[in-house]
Amino acid sequence: MSFFGFDSSRGHPAHGPGFGTAPDAFASISQHRGTGQVDDDEGIDFDDTYDGLGDQLEEADDDFNDDTFGGGESKNEPVGKDFDFFGSTSKVTGAINEEAVRYNRQQPPPKTTVAHSSPPKQDSKPYRTGYEAYKNPSYIPELQVDPGLWGTGPAKPANDYGFQQSQQGEYGSGPSQQRSSGAAPKIMMSLEEVEAAMRAQAKKPTPISEPQQQTQAPPQFSIPQMQQQLPAITRDTHQQVTTPYSHAMAPQNMNAQHPAAPPDFGSGQIRIQQRPSQQPSHHKHRSSQILQNEPPTRANSTPQIAPNLQATAPQQILQRGQNMPHQAPDAQESPRPRQILQNPNRHSAQFGPRTDGAPPSAQIQQRGPVAVPNGTNPTPVIYHPSQIMNLPEEERRLYLEEEAKRAKRNHKIFLLSKGNGLMTPQDKNFITRIQLQQLMTATGNVNEPDPDASLSEDFYYQVYNQIENRPRQNPQQPLSNFAQTYLFRTGGRQGGMGRRYRGGDSHMQRMEQQVQRAVEAAKAKPKNKQLVIEGSLGKISFSNAKTPKPLLNIRRHDSSDFASRSSGKKPQVALSTTDRKAILKNIEAVYSTLMKMEDHDRRQPPPPTNESDTLSIQAAAEWQQTWKDLNEKLWTDLKVNEPIMPESASLHPFIAFLSYPKGKKAIPRIFNHIDENQRLTILTLVLIHLDIIDVVRLAQPQPHGSQPSLMAREQVDLFLQTVMPSLFSYVTEAPLVVVIGMLGLATERLNMSAVARTRVGLEMLTMVLSRAAIIRAVEAPEDEIWNQWLAVYNSFFDTIEPLLGEIFPASVNAGQDQYVWQFLAATGSGANPEQQQRLVLAVKDRVMETLQQSKTLPPEMASQRRGNVNLFMQAIGLDVDLLDG
Amino acid sequence: MRVNLIRPILIPFPLGIPGFFKTLVDHEVTVELKNDISIKGILKSVDQFLNIKLDDIQVVEELKYPHLSSVKNVFIRGSVVRYVHLPSAAVDTALLEDATRREAASQASKPR
Repeated sequence: MSFFGFDSSRGHPAHGPGFGTAPDAFASISQHRGTGQVDDDEGIDFDDTYDGLGDQLEEADDDFNDDTFGGGESKNEPVGKDFDFFGSTSKVTGAINEEAVRYNRQQPPPKTTVAHSSPPKQDSKPYRTGYEAYKNPSYIPELQVDPGLWGTGPAKPANDYGFQQSQQGEYGSGPSQQRSSGAAPKIMMSLEEVEAAMRAQAKKPTPISEPQQQTQAPPQFSIPQMQQQLPAITRDTHQQVTTPYSHAMAPQNMNAQHPAAPPDFGSGQIRIQQRPSQQPSHHKHRSSQILQNEPPTRANSTPQIAPNLQATAPQQILQRGQNMPHQAPDAQESPRPRQILQNPNRHSAQFGPRTDGAPPSAQIQQRGPVAVPNGTNPTPVIYHPSQIMNLPEEERRLYLEEEAKRAKRNHKIFLLSKGNGLMTPQDKNFITRIQLQQLMTATGNVNEPDPDASLSEDFYYQVYNQIENRPRQNPQQPLSNFAQTYLFRTGGRQGGMGRRYRGGDSHMQRMEQQVQRAVEAAKAKPKNKQLVIEGSLGKISFSNAKTPKPLLNIRRHDSSDFASRSSGKKPQVALSTTDRKAILKNIEAVYSTLMKMEDHDRRQPPPPTNESDTLSIQAAAEWQQTWKDLNEKLWTDLKVNEPIMPESASLHPFIAFLSYPKGKKAIPRIFNHIDENQRLTILTLVLIHLDIIDVVRLAQPQPHGSQPSLMAREQVDLFLQTVMPSLFSYVTEAPLVVVIGMLGLATERLNMSAVARTRVGLEMLTMVLSRAAIIRAVEAPEDEIWNQWLAVYNSFFDTIEPLLGEIFPASVNAGQDQYVWQFLAATGSGANPEQQQRLVLAVKDRVMETLQQSKTLPPEMASQRRGNVNLFMQAIGLDVDLLDG
Repeated sequence: MRVNLIRPILIPFPLGIPGFFKTLVDHEVTVELKNDISIKGILKSVDQFLNIKLDDIQVVEELKYPHLSSVKNVFIRGSVVRYVHLPSAAVDTALLEDATRREAASQASKPR
C-alpha cells in the first residue's frame, strides 16, 4: 500500500522531475536496493541494513488520501511533469518572501490583524501561479481554502497561519506548500466531525451534517424545513469540497413545495420567480451571479452555485421575520451568512427569534468557547471579505479605515523596499565620501591658515548676513568650516525631530566623525591640480566647484611689469588725473588700503591690562605701527597733498576722486581712519574747490528753470548722504579759528555766485555759519577772535547779498527750498541789525510768496512751508505770525 | 539693478556670486534666459553653478509664452541664464564692491 498512491516498490524516483536537485537521504539506499545484485561486491545489502520498521506501519485509514492529494488518477496515468513543485514554487518565491517580510512587520502590533488579513492573500497567490494542474476539472473542482473554516477564534487561524508560514520559511519549496494546503481540508473535516458528534449528543435535530458522506443526509430530510436551512447555511463553508450530492440536497431543503428537486442552477431561478416584488435588487444580484456562472457544467458549477443557494436560505428566513425591513439590507449584502457560525454572539440576536431558537442556541453553546476571544477583542476579526458587510455600521467603518490605513502603509513599505539591497554598504560609503568631498570643495578649503582668507570667498554672504542681523551664534566662529556646521545642524534637526530614532542620532554622529576624518585627510594630502600620465602628450587637469577647470589660460601681466610701467608713468599721474582710468585706479587703491585698515582694526589687540605684560604691550605697539603705515599709505593714495594749482586745467586728484560715486562713498570710511588734521585738510580741500567740484559745477540751475540732469541730482544726493555728514561731523567740533579760516577762504577764493546757487554750496556755507553762531552762544569767545570772525562775516555778507535773489531754486511751488531758508537763518543769526534788514529786504518777496502759497496747500504742507520761513524769521527776531497779522 | 551673468564659460565666474545670490533668497527676481524668456519669481535657491530655483513664477510676456502660464515653479540651469534682474533695495552695493575687491585681491595674490 502506498501513501501517495505510488508504487512504493519502485523506490523513490531520485532523478524524477522536481526532486532532481533536492538531496534525498534515501536515494543511495534505494539505489543500493535497486541495484543490489550488481553492487554485491561492496558487501552491503539493503536488507541487511534495513530494520523492517516500515512493515510495521499501520496502513489503514488512508481512504481519503486520494481525495486529499489527488493521487487517485495517478494510478491510471503516469506521473506527469505537473509535479514540478520546485519549479512552480520558485515562481512564487518572491511572493512568499514578501509575505514573510510583511508578516514580520506586522508582528509588533498587538492586534491580530495578521490573522485575518493575511491568509486570503496567502491562499490566492500560490494557487494562482503554482497549481494550474488542479484547475483541471478531473481534479478536485476547486481547492480554495476558505479561511472561515478555522472558526472564530483568532488564536487558531494565527497558529495555522504561523505553521504554514514557518513551513514556507524553512523550505520555501513546493512539497511543503502542497502538504500544508492539501492538509487544510483534512483538518477542517476532522473539526466538523468533532462538532457533528457534539451536536448529535446535545440535540436530536442535528443541524450539522457531514456533507461529504451521503449516509448522513437522510436525517436532514426529517428535520423541519426551517431548521434544515441552517445546516445548509453552515455547510456553506464546506461547499468547496462537497461532492455533487450537496446540491441535490439543498433544493430539497429550501423548497419543499418543489419536490422535483431541480438542479441547483434552476432552483436559483425559481427563487427569483417566487419573490419578484419583494427583493428586486436581490434578484438582480442573484441573477447576475447566475449569469456569470453560465454555462456551468454540472460538476463544475457545484461549488459556485451552492453558495447562491445557501444565500437564499437566510433570505427566506429574513423575509418571514418580524422586522424584515431592518434585516433585509443586511442579508442582501451578504448572500453568504456563514458568520452565523463564526460570530454567533453578534448574529444570534438577529436570527434567533426567527429560527425557533433551538439550533442557533445550540450552536452558540457549542461555539461559545471559540468565540470568546472574539468577544474580548474590540475590533472584529475578519476572515473573509463578506464578513465586513455584516458588521454594524460603526465597526465596519472602523474596520475599513483600519484596513485602508494598513494597506496604505504596506504599499508604502513595498514602494520603499523596492530599492532595498541595491547598494552594498561599500557603495554607500563610496557615495558618501564623494558627497563629502564635494561639500568640502564647495565650501572652501579648511586648511587656510587665515580666517579672513576664507572669508573673502563668501565675503558678501557672510557680512551681509551679519549686517542683516541674522542669528549667528558666535561672530568669532571660524566661518570656514561649513561642512561641519552644516552637518552639525542637520544632526541637531534629526535629533530634535524624534528622540525615538536613536539610530539616526548615532548615524549623524558617525557622519560628523567621518567628515572630520575626511577633512583631516584632505589636509594631509596635497592637492594635485594636474595629472601627467607617463607617455601622454598632455596634462589632465582636475576641476572642482571651487576651481573650475581653466580651459583657456590667459597670461596675466606680471606684477613687476605692472609696477615698472606705473612707476614710469608716475610723473604724469598728477597731470593726467582727469584721465578716468587713472582716477578709478586711485580710487581702487584707496579702497584696498581701506579694507586693509578695516581688517587691521578687527585685529586690534586688547589693550594691555598691566605694565608688566610686555607681550601684549609689544603687540599693541606693533599694531599701532602697522596702523600708522597703513594710514600713511591711505593718505598717499588719496593724493590730498598734491599741490593745488588754481590755474591748472585739470582737477585736483582728490576732487577728481570725489567726482566719482565710489570716491564719495569712500569718504565716511576714510574719515574713520584718519586723524583730525587729515580731516581738516580734506575739509579745506573740498571747500577751496567748492565752486568746481562736480556737485556744484554740474548742479547749476538751468537757464529755463529746468532741473539739472538726473545724474547730477543723483550725485548731489549721494554727496549729501556720504561726504557732507563726514564733513559736518568734523565742523561741529571745529574751533572758531578754523571756522573763521574756512569762511575767509570761501569768501576769497570761491566763485560765490556759482556756489550760492547750489544746494551743496549753500549747505557748506550754512554749516560754517551755524557753527560760528553756536560757538558764540556756547563758548563766548574772546572779543579779539570774535572780531576777526565779524570781519570775515561782513566780507562774506557783502559778497552774498547781491546773490540772495538768485539762491532760491526754481519757483515757490516746487517747495524744495528748505536748505535756502536754513542758509538764510544761519546768515541772519550772525548778522547785525542793519544786515538783517538788508537780508529781509532781499528775500521779502519770497517770504510773502511762500506764505501766500502755503495758504493754498493742505495744512500739513502749509505748516511745513511756514516752518521753513519761520526758521529764517526767528533767526532775525521776527515771526511769520506778525506778517499774517 | 542688472547683473550681467553672461560669462565666458572658460573663465571661472567669481566665487562669491553664489553667496551673493544666497542673500537674495526669498526676494523677487527676474531671470532672463538666453532664449529671451523672462521669468519673474521668488528666488528659492542658487547653487555654485548658478542653477536657480524659482517659486511662484510668472512669465513676463505671458501672452507670448502661454505654455508657461500654468507653471508654478521652475529650476533653471545656470548655463541658460542671460541676466538676473535683482531688487536693488536688497543689494548692498558697497559691500558687494568690497567683496569683489577682496576676491580680486585674493586671486591676484594667489600664485598662478
